[in-house]
Amino acid sequence: MVDETEDFGPWLARQLRRHGMTQSELAATLQVTRAAVSAWITGRAHPRPETVRLIAAAFATDLATVYERTTDVVAGRPVTWYHRPAHADGGREFGNAAAFAFDADLGVLAREATQNSLDERRDPTRSVRVRYILHELTGEHLGSFLSALQWESLKPHYAAAMATDQKVGRALAEGLREMEASGSLLLLRIDDHNANGLTGPEYDDGRFSAVVRRQLDSHKGDNRRAGGSYGLGKATLWAASRLGLVLMNSTLSVPHEGRTARRLIGRLDLPWREVDDEAFAGPAWFGEPDSDPAFENVSRSWWGTEQEATSLHLEREGEDPGTSFLVVGAHDAAAVAAGDEGLQAMHDKLCDSLAENFWAAMTGTDTAPPLLEASVRTLRNGAELIPETRVSPEQRRPALARALRAYLTGETVATLSGRTDVVERAVRLTVPPRRADGKGATAVTHDAVLLLTPADDNDRTHSRVVSMRGNRMTVTSRKPRDLGLGVEPFQAVLLAGFATARDGDDVVRAEVFLRTSEPPEHNRWEWTDELSDTYVRGAKKRLDEFRVAVDDAVRAVVGVRATAPADDGGPELLRSLLKLVPATGGGRTSARRSRGYPTVDDIDGEVDTTGAWSLRVRVAVPQQEDSWHLTPIACFGSGIPVRWAELTATENCSFAGDVLVVAPGVRYAMFGGVTDVDSHPVAAERTNITVSLRKAVEGAARR
Amino acid sequence: MSRMVYPYAILSGQVEAEITRVRVDGRPLDYAKISPSLRTVALDADRDGWQEAVCDVRAVLPEEEIAYGPWSELACVAVLEEPSTNTRTVQRLARDRASGTWQGAVRLRRSRHRSRATLGIRVVAAVDGVRGRIVGWSETDWVIDLRAEIPVRDKEIRIVETDFRDGPYVWLRRLKDAPWMVDVSGDLPTVYLNRGVEGLTALLRGSGTVERATAALLNAQIVSDVWETMFHSAVSDIDSDEEGRPRMPGGWRESVLEAMLPDVLPGLSPADAIVELRARREEGYGWTELQSRIQYAAALRAQLPKQLAATLRLTARPPQGDHR
Repeated sequence: MVDETEDFGPWLARQLRRHGMTQSELAATLQVTRAAVSAWITGRAHPRPETVRLIAAAFATDLATVYERTTDVVAGRPVTWYHRPAHADGGREFGNAAAFAFDADLGVLAREATQNSLDERRDPTRSVRVRYILHELTGEHLGSFLSALQWESLKPHYAAAMATDQKVGRALAEGLREMEASGSLLLLRIDDHNANGLTGPEYDDGRFSAVVRRQLDSHKGDNRRAGGSYGLGKATLWAASRLGLVLMNSTLSVPHEGRTARRLIGRLDLPWREVDDEAFAGPAWFGEPDSDPAFENVSRSWWGTEQEATSLHLEREGEDPGTSFLVVGAHDAAAVAAGDEGLQAMHDKLCDSLAENFWAAMTGTDTAPPLLEASVRTLRNGAELIPETRVSPEQRRPALARALRAYLTGETVATLSGRTDVVERAVRLTVPPRRADGKGATAVTHDAVLLLTPADDNDRTHSRVVSMRGNRMTVTSRKPRDLGLGVEPFQAVLLAGFATARDGDDVVRAEVFLRTSEPPEHNRWEWTDELSDTYVRGAKKRLDEFRVAVDDAVRAVVGVRATAPADDGGPELLRSLLKLVPATGGGRTSARRSRGYPTVDDIDGEVDTTGAWSLRVRVAVPQQEDSWHLTPIACFGSGIPVRWAELTATENCSFAGDVLVVAPGVRYAMFGGVTDVDSHPVAAERTNITVSLRKAVEGAARR
Repeated sequence: MSRMVYPYAILSGQVEAEITRVRVDGRPLDYAKISPSLRTVALDADRDGWQEAVCDVRAVLPEEEIAYGPWSELACVAVLEEPSTNTRTVQRLARDRASGTWQGAVRLRRSRHRSRATLGIRVVAAVDGVRGRIVGWSETDWVIDLRAEIPVRDKEIRIVETDFRDGPYVWLRRLKDAPWMVDVSGDLPTVYLNRGVEGLTALLRGSGTVERATAALLNAQIVSDVWETMFHSAVSDIDSDEEGRPRMPGGWRESVLEAMLPDVLPGLSPADAIVELRARREEGYGWTELQSRIQYAAALRAQLPKQLAATLRLTARPPQGDHR
């Protein structure tokens, strides 16, 4: 049975909080001990029916409310903004430092936010579904959204923040000016489904406080596959908002206060400011004022109604756990176009970024779903502007996606023989023992997987090895060394640790080892402080050996041509000067510049009513002081000459009989010609025609 | 040939051809022998006794243009040709609905080919009620080299190092004093380097200052000899067509003429140049004057000025030991 009944304990605790009543006060009213109330709240005991009646009376409500517990006895205290007062020591902050580490770039936002969703995957047998929705609001729609957001109460804070002549102040001013001028506001919604959601308590350690209350807290300790471990990613959300404002709605995977659906909160990042002679520091939160004396009036997340979620554009589809982030005033520093064109550009940028960064996570097979499914959709005032675009792994990296799919379905081959073949090679990584493992510990070997396939024609980047671990996040992309010349373009992926989709002790160890060897940018495997602290001596050498082994494996597959000696050899210098370039057939290739002799530059024409070819010919000649004397020859098909019935000079030339005389000093000439139907071996409309030039010889024409 | 004009609509979009896989007598050919960037396949001379190679061909046509164009009964064929054996194999390709490409397998019988076959795509359709017209073709043909081990499009002239006195080439024994010898009679020109001349091949590979200085000049000498000999061989191979006009020879001879004619007879198109060449050869006038032009063109091929400069630079230095 699915119902929204909460457990009695959490419900009662909340009612007490909302009434501003302590456990002892309630105990006194009910004439029971404080220990009994405490036992109900912690779920160790349940009140008897007559006591329940007294509880209902104490809260001045009816019995049904207490039994059903689907609503609170008092409506929550009205949702409002809480601005953090300035530090008592007078310290001033001028904006969220973490947010400034990133430019407002939707591509970066898509990468970081999606990586976070991927790291928070709930059910490992299903994909995480990530959906980006761009939504432009104008007029009435904008008005009702702003009123739901209590915009009026924020205005003085924005005005004060803008007045501070800091980078962030100027950015806010520009954002607000733009909103005023265009009368529109862009929202970017990022939904994930089958993710953990913002679980955990309001202020103490947990996912919720990591995202909402703190900066640089990654809270990924329990996820071994996680990508980043620096918690910078979420700052991109605020960086992407011109107003520094992000709203959230989370469906929790683990109940908090006995509930899971619609945990709502908003967070605004502003610099230090003074409003009505009161100083405020940094963030503000949008939520229900806390009645807990320790956090008096701090806005905390509240369990919203469907209607509240809808009015804040935060309604979620379905009951799958996950989080919806709403970036208010989304923008992209690189965007230039406005209106439909600008929206289309942002839509495409999101799609591109997702395809570029997550092609591997989005690759699945018939039996195993991909780790990630992603889509982008664009709306204006609730109406669809650009329909939902499902991002496909093939969109940006077709050959790499093909390689990975072949591996997952077990369709790799031992040697390349075709265009779409994928070769698989094991590359050994030796994981050294950890210092903590003690004296007897030995190294383990992990077979990483190298996949290699010929590049596609359209691949812009190729002949690099893309290395990934964890939930298939790209760590490095580098060119192998010493491949030699003449290697055909290829695509290669190296899967290590969990990315191999295998299980085992070596997999876990390799994953940890490689993650330890990543710098904060997560873009290479190299020596780090943490590496030398954690592992016994020689860890760096193992990484170097691994890199060399990868290069060797690549060379063994694609470098064959480069190492094979040409038959008979011969001294290099001699060979280099004795190459024969295949003949071009005297001009079948596109017009080369200045050949040093006259050429036919362009021909145009059609068959006229008498059945003759009527042609217009442009001739290019090298500039010279004398005139060129040329004989234009028309040929049918593969070289059967036909006679001219008529030749007319059009530009820069004249005719002396059948000889074209090009004026001195010019670079081109044009003439028209009509063929003689009597000389046609076949009907004109049955054959193609070409015109070539011969040097005309005075006197008897030498043929 | 120059640009063609057609009395009917032809495709303006590109027709792309690709060989995606080759099987030789049923065994797949290593993909390293297929070079999509050079559009070349090396069928490998070492594999003896094979009968047939099957090439999987994929063609990409400008489908959108075709859909809205005036063409009907459109067919796409792969054409495998080798002029030296006068072989032409045509294979119809079938349209693959899933990928939108045209695919098929072309059979290459070894008995019908000799050295280098070319493979191209032709698009045939009915236009204005006339069937079977060529409306499109691939711009660059694929080369299927029956003898090469590695797929290289540019042909390298064969270089054989052998002892003229007692080597396997009996006919070279009479020439035992020659340091090198150019043979242009075969399918591809061959340069024989005489191992019997002590130190010759070592000098050509030399790495010391003195060796490099000398090798540069000696190389230029050999290379210009080769080009000159090839040019004369090519000129003597100029045939006449039915109308008595000279016709460009095929194979490597065409490559040689195309490379050298602009330097031998500047200002003339290749077609005009071979008319001129044959005339001078047959009628005798100006043939002698032409010799110095040929020598000049061959020297340019051998990069003689550059090699000489290298020699002068290396020898002008005060000797400071061989290796620096």
